[in-house]
Amino acid sequence: MIWRRLLLTRLAGMVATLAVLSVVIFAGTELLPGDAVSAVAGQHASPAQRAEVRTQLGLDRPAPQRYLEWIGGALHGDLGPSYTGGRPVTDVITERLGNSVLLALAVYLLLIPLSLTLGTIAGLGSASGRRGRRADRVILVATVSMLGVPEFLTGGLLLAVFAVWLGWLPAVSIAPIGGSVLDDPQALLLPVASLLVVSLGAATRLVRAGVANVAGSPYLEAARLAGVRGPKLVLRHVLPAALGPATQVISIGLGTIVGGAVVVETLFDYPGIGNELQSAVAGRDVPLVQGIALTLAAVTLVALLLGDIVARALDPATGGRP
Amino acid sequence: MPQSPYSRRELLRGGVLLGGALLASPLLAACSGDAGSSPTGPSRRGGTLRAALVGTGANENLNPFTGATVLDFVRARAVHGTLGVIDPDAPEDVRYGVLAGIDVDDDRSRYSLRVRGDARFTDGSPVTARDVLYSLKFVVRSTPSYAGYTADFDLDAARVDGQKTLVVPTKRPVSDGHLMLCQGIVFVFKDGTRRFTPDTPSCGAFRIEEFDPGEGTLLRRNDDYVGGTGGPYLDAVELRSIVADDARANALRGGQVDFVHDLAPAHARTVEADDQFTVVESRPPDVSGLGVLLNMSRPPFDDVRVRQACKLALDRKAILNTALLGRGIVGNDLFAPGYPDSPTAIPQRPHDPDRASRLLRAAGASGAKVTLTTAPESAGLVRTCTQIAEQLSALGLPVTIDERPAGGLYADYDAYARLQMAATYSTAMPPLQYYEVSRAGKNPFSLGWSRSDVDRRISHTRTLTGQRRHQASTAVHRVLWEEDNVLLPVFKPVLNGQVANLRGVADGLFLQFPSFVEASLQ
Repeated sequence: MIWRRLLLTRLAGMVATLAVLSVVIFAGTELLPGDAVSAVAGQHASPAQRAEVRTQLGLDRPAPQRYLEWIGGALHGDLGPSYTGGRPVTDVITERLGNSVLLALAVYLLLIPLSLTLGTIAGLGSASGRRGRRADRVILVATVSMLGVPEFLTGGLLLAVFAVWLGWLPAVSIAPIGGSVLDDPQALLLPVASLLVVSLGAATRLVRAGVANVAGSPYLEAARLAGVRGPKLVLRHVLPAALGPATQVISIGLGTIVGGAVVVETLFDYPGIGNELQSAVAGRDVPLVQGIALTLAAVTLVALLLGDIVARALDPATGGRP
Repeated sequence: MPQSPYSRRELLRGGVLLGGALLASPLLAACSGDAGSSPTGPSRRGGTLRAALVGTGANENLNPFTGATVLDFVRARAVHGTLGVIDPDAPEDVRYGVLAGIDVDDDRSRYSLRVRGDARFTDGSPVTARDVLYSLKFVVRSTPSYAGYTADFDLDAARVDGQKTLVVPTKRPVSDGHLMLCQGIVFVFKDGTRRFTPDTPSCGAFRIEEFDPGEGTLLRRNDDYVGGTGGPYLDAVELRSIVADDARANALRGGQVDFVHDLAPAHARTVEADDQFTVVESRPPDVSGLGVLLNMSRPPFDDVRVRQACKLALDRKAILNTALLGRGIVGNDLFAPGYPDSPTAIPQRPHDPDRASRLLRAAGASGAKVTLTTAPESAGLVRTCTQIAEQLSALGLPVTIDERPAGGLYADYDAYARLQMAATYSTAMPPLQYYEVSRAGKNPFSLGWSRSDVDRRISHTRTLTGQRRHQASTAVHRVLWEEDNVLLPVFKPVLNGQVANLRGVADGLFLQFPSFVEASLQ
């Protein structure tokens, strides 16, 4: 019952947030530099031709009316047609979102074990002897460095070394014509590595903080006195306490991955939603920009909600109660 | 702003330019083709060329005029063929594609377009005059941007004369209509074509074997193609969309593609430092002018002496070296170099800051504060404007730069027309047509330029031929050179990077949208 109430409350909050965001997105695209009519009609269009295009695009109607139509369509999965190619925006997003989800999953597949391992070593090290503290400092410095370097620089460096200089990996993630990005898994490596570096710093530091809190706690000391040592101590007593906050952090880290994906996908020409957004903005394809922005907002909010729920479920302090 | 038959979106996406090839010009000395750096010997048949160009994403389709990116046009040129392209070595300055030729009546009231007898679509049907008429109307209908191509012709009064001749009346007597009809984007579609799929009949050098929106297109050689000068030599061409220019450069250097279109100057320098690659520069007229318009309806630019002072104050070579890293040509404040009508007899304007300073003082404009509005609408445009601003400030005309985000310069067309100084970039189009499209008739985008006498002289010049035309063109351009409001210090070429064993791309002409019809992998 308590879980149900929590879920309903959070869902309502998410819907309200998404509604506000949809207004912000719509207003933001209205204010974008560049006029969709000019983009479609061209510079030579006469006033009459421009008016015709404006009517065709539905831009002659008041903005509130267009917003309601857009959001009404979105609720039914219809985000309208793209200005440039004429394809349904929903189809374009579905196609590209799959590739981006694949990229994010590959990042998480590495991010979760790596951040847990490094964060645990650092967190336990912070509360132990000199050797442990040294390991903690090394990891802290490394993660701070990762946090300080923007994704375009990280990606650019990886690209310069592994694609251009050594020639080991492809510089751009182009899939075989008619195939998918999975047909050439090598093409995923550099984008994944770039996003991993960007997100690993924050995730590791948050796991470390959780572990460090537990490391000095009386119940862990009690476990030690009871003879629990090594991996058993970590797996049974340290990680469960640290996982809650870490899960939330990892869900928050999705924001980093989504934001970074726009840069990284463009850098490696990865056929994901971030790259598509960049193309849509350049082409003043307003329905596509709106659709992608709304989708990314929804995905991020759902991830945050899931992260919050999992964190509460894993929190030993609450015994799995919300 | 000089207007072009392209929308701002198209230009932003790919630096889309119109044009063809060139007549011999002193400007050419500054440019390089691919003849000197590519392997020699007879062109080898076979092989697959992998090319990367600016395209769009998953909403890509096969109608070249709905996406209107460089990739869309290159694919359409390869697949559908064109009426022709401008070629300085051809007798009428045009290399015909689907057409065998164009006959013009003595009074220039009618153009007769003759279709090649052996031209066929991929479904085996012959290309007819009716197809050509349909194609012309299709191009014009696609978007108002393209109306300029046939603005001199009355397509509604056109008449099909037999299977192979299309007679098109002119709206006014012009003798250069073939230069617009053969601009390389007047693609040829089969009469009635409305939907574009890989199976749509076409008559270009290649046919579509596979199309994967947003990923790429695989083209296979059309052995029945008749428009080439020996080609097509390649078995196949893979067209890939890579939007970011650094990603295109990296794809070439990483060996994932063999040809990349439109590199930034810095990337071109990196690419050509490696012996495995060469960089091919387009030549005039396939270049884009970068500069500034001075608003003649606002002080201090309503005084011709101030405008002349600004022109004389520019150190064009320094701007070229700084803004374009030396890749390009020095401009002479006149649009569209390299065409038959381009005024080569007008001398290059000198850098004369002393005279400029005297003119500015005489006009009482020393110290007048002005604002230059710019935006990164074309690569190198902001840097060019920054250089212009610095040099004019040094002259005694303090310039404040108002830099807007990409797309911001033309976001409000009415506001653009009121700017005191505005960045501009040109597209390649024959100069007389360019003037009529972008500056004649008090065009608001020409920022206060309003000279009905010049409009009439340009219009009259277009009716002339031969030496009389050349003299008239030079004379009217001299008026523009001395009195108008255009600062055009540099022209930017298209820089294409390619593997060293690729040759013949430039032989297909019109490098803005390379055809690959004469390309071969040696």
